[in-house]
Amino acid sequence: MTGPGDTVVVVEDELPMRRFLRSALMAHGFRVVEAGTIAEAERAAVDTRPDAIVLDLGLPDGDGLELLKRLREWSTAPVIVLSARDRENDKVIALDAGADDYLTKPFGTSELLARIRVALRHARAQPATEDPTIIVGPISIDRARHQVQLAGAAIHLTPIEFRLLLLLARHAGKVLTHRQLLHDVWGPRSAQQTHYLRVHMAALRKKLEVDPARPRWLTTEPGVGYRLRDE
Amino acid sequence: MIIPSDTTVRAWLAAGASAVTPVACATLLGVIAGARLSLPDDAMLFLFAIMIAAFGGRRAGLLAASLSVAAYDFFFVPPRFTFAVADLGYVMTFAVMFTVGAGMGTLVARLRHAEAASRQRERRTAALLAFTADSARAVDVAEVASAVAAHAEDVLAAPVVVLVPGGDGALAAAAGLAPLAAQELAVVRAAHEQRRPAGRGTQLVPSARLLALPLLAGGDSAGVVAVHLDRARRRIDREARELLEAIARQAGLAIARLRLTAEARDAELRVQAEELRSALLSTVSHDLRTPLAVITGTATALREISSALTPDQLAAIDTIVEEATWLGRILTNLLAITRVEHGGEIHSEWVPVEEIVGSALARAEAVLAGRDVALDLAPDIGVRVNPILIEQLLLNLLENAAKHTPPATPIEIAAALAGDGVAIEVADRGPGVPPGAEHQVFQKLYRGPNARGAGAGLGLAVCRGIATAHGGTIEAAQRSGGGATFRIWLPGGAPPPPPIDDRAIDDHAIDDHAIDDRAVDDRAVDDRAVDDRAVDDRAVDDRAIDDRAVDDRAIEPAPTGPGVSPAAGAAP
Repeated sequence: MTGPGDTVVVVEDELPMRRFLRSALMAHGFRVVEAGTIAEAERAAVDTRPDAIVLDLGLPDGDGLELLKRLREWSTAPVIVLSARDRENDKVIALDAGADDYLTKPFGTSELLARIRVALRHARAQPATEDPTIIVGPISIDRARHQVQLAGAAIHLTPIEFRLLLLLARHAGKVLTHRQLLHDVWGPRSAQQTHYLRVHMAALRKKLEVDPARPRWLTTEPGVGYRLRDE
Repeated sequence: MIIPSDTTVRAWLAAGASAVTPVACATLLGVIAGARLSLPDDAMLFLFAIMIAAFGGRRAGLLAASLSVAAYDFFFVPPRFTFAVADLGYVMTFAVMFTVGAGMGTLVARLRHAEAASRQRERRTAALLAFTADSARAVDVAEVASAVAAHAEDVLAAPVVVLVPGGDGALAAAAGLAPLAAQELAVVRAAHEQRRPAGRGTQLVPSARLLALPLLAGGDSAGVVAVHLDRARRRIDREARELLEAIARQAGLAIARLRLTAEARDAELRVQAEELRSALLSTVSHDLRTPLAVITGTATALREISSALTPDQLAAIDTIVEEATWLGRILTNLLAITRVEHGGEIHSEWVPVEEIVGSALARAEAVLAGRDVALDLAPDIGVRVNPILIEQLLLNLLENAAKHTPPATPIEIAAALAGDGVAIEVADRGPGVPPGAEHQVFQKLYRGPNARGAGAGLGLAVCRGIATAHGGTIEAAQRSGGGATFRIWLPGGAPPPPPIDDRAIDDHAIDDHAIDDRAVDDRAVDDRAVDDRAVDDRAVDDRAIDDRAVDDRAIEPAPTGPGVSPAAGAAP
């Protein structure tokens, strides 16, 4: 799926960080194009038509968010943003503005590669030919029949829970923000009612997790949203 | 018997002075002229004298009339050189003299009075204008007070003192030299507290020897101006009182303006401080975290080529990662304490306790190193908090427990409703909190005697800062049976009700409800595909999505049923 030939544009102003990203990605067969400023990044994106973009939100010559918005006007290449732990709001804004995932500094090579792989996989999936059954770990979802099984046993979900699970499963491995989940499950007017979402997520965990307080699949991304892990 | 006051006597003496001269002149002129040539009417001379004297006022007019009558009678009316009157016709002349004297005198007095009054009005208007200009220039309350004192003293010609509340709220003299006696101070206080005039000429303590007016600023009394009224000046006239009231009103407005200006300046300073702080935080955050991220990332990249490394080299890489992570945690705590201690706004939302404990446990995984953590969380409770900060709080408590207790001992986390909120307890079986240090442990840079390894003594201080910023509490206690218990209380409770929006659609929901209910019952049966398809089609319609939100609530109170419980074998 991914590997030699896939081009990743790395937008990072700190040279040591860029060096680390380059060596980690190149060691796994990616072609890496580096950009230290917004202007360089835009040029690189136009010239190389990358398969994915890694973007540090704390760029000095302008807002990384601005670049993301401009990029989204013409490109669908997955964007993974890098940000510090207590900048949750930046991450949420970036994700809502079209970023595909995020990494909190510090992170290791394996997390970086896992995010890029998931993003590339989703970017290449054809929605029209989506499988009628989605399987994530022990969870299997029959889209047509509204049926969910956990390790082969039928699980009853309410319609809301089903929609929530389906949405997370269709983006398995990828983070979805509170806003995205609320918007898609409850409609555009509910985007602020996060407690709604939290109550239903808790119910879903109760039904699908062995220990809901230590979720294996339905993980919380604090301050950002939720993720259905697929590995 | 009425004893005339000094002022009345003085007024009559002045009137006498201005009446005697013209009458004496008229008499002399009449006598001299009468001896040489025959005057047709001597009375005309006296009328002229009365007119001149009347310029001295009503008293002078009357006095001149009396003197003229006497002189005319004595010197000119036959029999001359007696006060007897032979011809009764002269009585008429006397009456005319009196009338002219009194009338002219009154007229002149009225004119004089009107002139004096308008001059005084002019002076007071000028004084008020001057005061307004001064008070507009004032940059603080003390300057307004001294302007009030100076101008009021000028206008009233009486000692004035201005009092404003000090830092402790008690009134203290801010301008004017007149000292106040205890009972006078009580009158001033009454005016201040009741926000209305007090003292002489008012309904509040009218017997007092002073008049006190509050300086009203936006419905509140910002101070008091008090005028001493001594024996010489028992009361001040209506106009002076009005002027004093105008000054007090202007002073109140000036003080209100100063207060608004000060508030605006404070707000601006706060905004600037807040901007500076967040700029600083984001710089620190970026400048310190990026190298840490590079260290961690590069070390993990090195570790990937483990086949080429000796065990010692691998251990060295692990040490690098661990230490960088530790530095990162200290940095996170430093940033968190700056955030909560410097009054940044905390964005709170309702979060299930289970979720927040879960994400703290996930982050603490490396620190806990497989240690047994037992959970006892009451179902369906949540806290109204900033989830990031509370996760940090719990993480710090878990790290603290891991650091201070032997590796194999268990940690327990319990949560239950407590009053208007939720109590969360993190308990361990370590050596416990040193007796008497239950409060000290939350102080910055406090380090316990049993601390293993390095520690900045920040973790628990951050916990307290975060709990306090949420309106919550945190306390440490000895645990019965040995160990320490950290008990946090945070606002929260059951989940908030869904918005009214969604309940309002009940009408539409009735049919769907039936379908959904059936869907629930039919789950176990296999031949429901057609019905479910119908439900699915509806999902296209946005309206239907909202309806389902309602249905969902209807279904939830009975969540148990076949296949609902977390089935065995769910483990990955």
